[in-house]
Amino acid sequence: MSAVLERTPVAARTGPPGASWAAVLALALFEARRLLLRIPVLAAFALYVTWIVWRTPLLENGYPVLQDADRATQSGPLLIGLAVLVCVNQAVLRSRRRDTERHFAVLVLRPWQRTAAHALSAAPSALLVAVCVGAQYGWSALRPDAVGSGSPAELLVGPLTVLLAAAFGVLLARLFASVLAAPLTIVLLLFLSFGVAVPDASEERGVRWLLPVVSENAQQAIPSQLIDRPAAWHALYLLGLVLTLTLLAVLASGGRGRLLLGTVAGALALTLTSGITQTATLPDATTAARARATDAPQKEQTCVRRGGTTYCAFPEWMPRVGTWASVVDHVRSLTGGTVRERPLLVRQRVYATGGLTADGAIDPSATPGQVTVGTGWGGPRVPEFSAAVASVLVAGSERATVGVCDGRMVTTMWLALSWQPDPVKSLRAVRLDDSVTGSAIVLTPTNPLQMTAGQTYVVRQLLGKPRESVAAKVKAHWAELTAPNVTSAQAAELLGVKAPKEADKCD
Amino acid sequence: MRLTARESLVPVLRTLPWRALAAGGGLGLLLAGLLRWATGEFGGWPALTLLRTAALAYALTLTFVLDDPARHTVSTVPTRRALRTGLRLVLVTPATALWWMAVVLLVPSSLRPPVADVTLEAAAACAVALAAGALATRLTDEPRPGPSVAAAYLLTAVLTPLLPHRWALFVWPADKGWEAAHERWAWVLVGALVALALCMREPIRRRRAPIGRRPGTFAPSGGTPSGGV
Repeated sequence: MSAVLERTPVAARTGPPGASWAAVLALALFEARRLLLRIPVLAAFALYVTWIVWRTPLLENGYPVLQDADRATQSGPLLIGLAVLVCVNQAVLRSRRRDTERHFAVLVLRPWQRTAAHALSAAPSALLVAVCVGAQYGWSALRPDAVGSGSPAELLVGPLTVLLAAAFGVLLARLFASVLAAPLTIVLLLFLSFGVAVPDASEERGVRWLLPVVSENAQQAIPSQLIDRPAAWHALYLLGLVLTLTLLAVLASGGRGRLLLGTVAGALALTLTSGITQTATLPDATTAARARATDAPQKEQTCVRRGGTTYCAFPEWMPRVGTWASVVDHVRSLTGGTVRERPLLVRQRVYATGGLTADGAIDPSATPGQVTVGTGWGGPRVPEFSAAVASVLVAGSERATVGVCDGRMVTTMWLALSWQPDPVKSLRAVRLDDSVTGSAIVLTPTNPLQMTAGQTYVVRQLLGKPRESVAAKVKAHWAELTAPNVTSAQAAELLGVKAPKEADKCD
Repeated sequence: MRLTARESLVPVLRTLPWRALAAGGGLGLLLAGLLRWATGEFGGWPALTLLRTAALAYALTLTFVLDDPARHTVSTVPTRRALRTGLRLVLVTPATALWWMAVVLLVPSSLRPPVADVTLEAAAACAVALAAGALATRLTDEPRPGPSVAAAYLLTAVLTPLLPHRWALFVWPADKGWEAAHERWAWVLVGALVALALCMREPIRRRRAPIGRRPGTFAPSGGTPSGGV
């Protein structure tokens, strides 16, 4: 015989007080595993890792500057964030779609605790992204050619973006009980990001810092203390945003209590404070320091002497001196006359006045024997510097090379290119239009040089001949070859190659 | 008893996710309408971006069109799955065409990109969405694979602009590759339609259940541990 229950059983908590949080953690772990095994998340991670492996070795021609390498880790995690947003959103709505919502009424977890567990379930994905970010940055940082220093706050942006996406996905699920809401919101956000120009994109600070990832259209690396991005405030802002969105989702699923409301207020205060602080105008001290670095870099730089050459650079770039010295020594060894022993000053100069995005030219230096080197290296930067060294050795100073359009260009370009492993490839790299015939602009760290079609013809012939035989002729005829107004035809004759048909004529 | 197409029409009409379609289509109409009336003449927004966004939003909702909660119940009835799917497509297509016409007409004619080419893009996007839904239904046991398909579709859509120039699909009308890109769009459309046609049937022989899907295991928050959600 069965007994009849006369009273409805009263819900009673039987477990220890911490049991419900243990259950939240258990659910979070379970959901985290499911999230990581979802096909979109797996595909996003596969692509992300491929992107890291493919792009990182190419960063800044293989000579990374670490204050740029840290920012290079920020865009990849957006893809993971996208996948996590959609998948977390669907995970929150799963019980509604499967009609298992009412079964949860009998469990120890209340709806707001389940919401919290879903928000927590993205933590392992964010950790995995943090590992990938660390690997990507570490790859650059461990290269022997790396210079500069990265900022941990910039590295935190990637993992925080993933957490932010998850929090947003959970909040969306609690506000709109449809799996379509998240994809449509993403489409809307994509449209806004593609269609609208970012507000005040030209401003360095300002409202663009309210976006999760603030990228810079950087033209060149500048010393790390001149960058002055409010990276730490931005990381705090993202953290505040993650907390606020998560707690709002918890509130939306019925969480109440003084502690919760207090935390929401705290998170909101954190977001607002850091959000407003990061958009504040650039400190005057930074503007002054940038102007100083552009106009009078000698005050900020340290110098070292190697052979007959003095190298002055911003302290972060001092490890590069050896690389520069090998270029200078190679070019010097091919010269003749007294130039071989003439003292040279290689000074690093950078246009930092407008910060990272500034694209200003550096004026050629009027000081005799001073060569400018930029902040980048590798790829075309090597022949460009080589051309600058050669032109100063031939013409005397950078200012004196402006407008040179005679036979001295032949000597300059041969000195700059002949010692390189693949001179014709370097010729292509150093010319603005990537050509190896005809006339073209030759880039250097300061003023561009000009090569006529005839000079190119002579240089190509010289590059085709054995280096030692040409070097002997250059040394023997150094005075004639570097005399102002020597024509390309005369230079060709002195060096024993065919003279060009047309006379030297620059635009 | 086998139902005829006419007898199935009304039930199929009722099972279509009209609200989702209205939401996805409404987004494009809303954006186009807001831009047209709020800013006068689009205020510098590229009309092509708008049309592509509208098509993407709508195509996302189309990934849910072939979801069928009653799939396991009706898989044994004599009325074939191909007929039900076909009816759904027949019902959705005119609505889609009307909606697309409205969106295109909302864009001022002076700003409108080549309509035929953009319509080809939109048609291909919609066909891929439907084909993906059909493929997911064909290859899995899941009655409602919509959310997974939508997530995969969205990810693909976000990554497509990153294709190398040789295979680029999203190009601008001023670009030299516009013609070639639309040839590729046409191939995408054809491929999607073929895939859709091939996936219409209900799979008769079930593939073996994957390892780990054991009956009787329950997930704390519903669903089966390895089922697509």
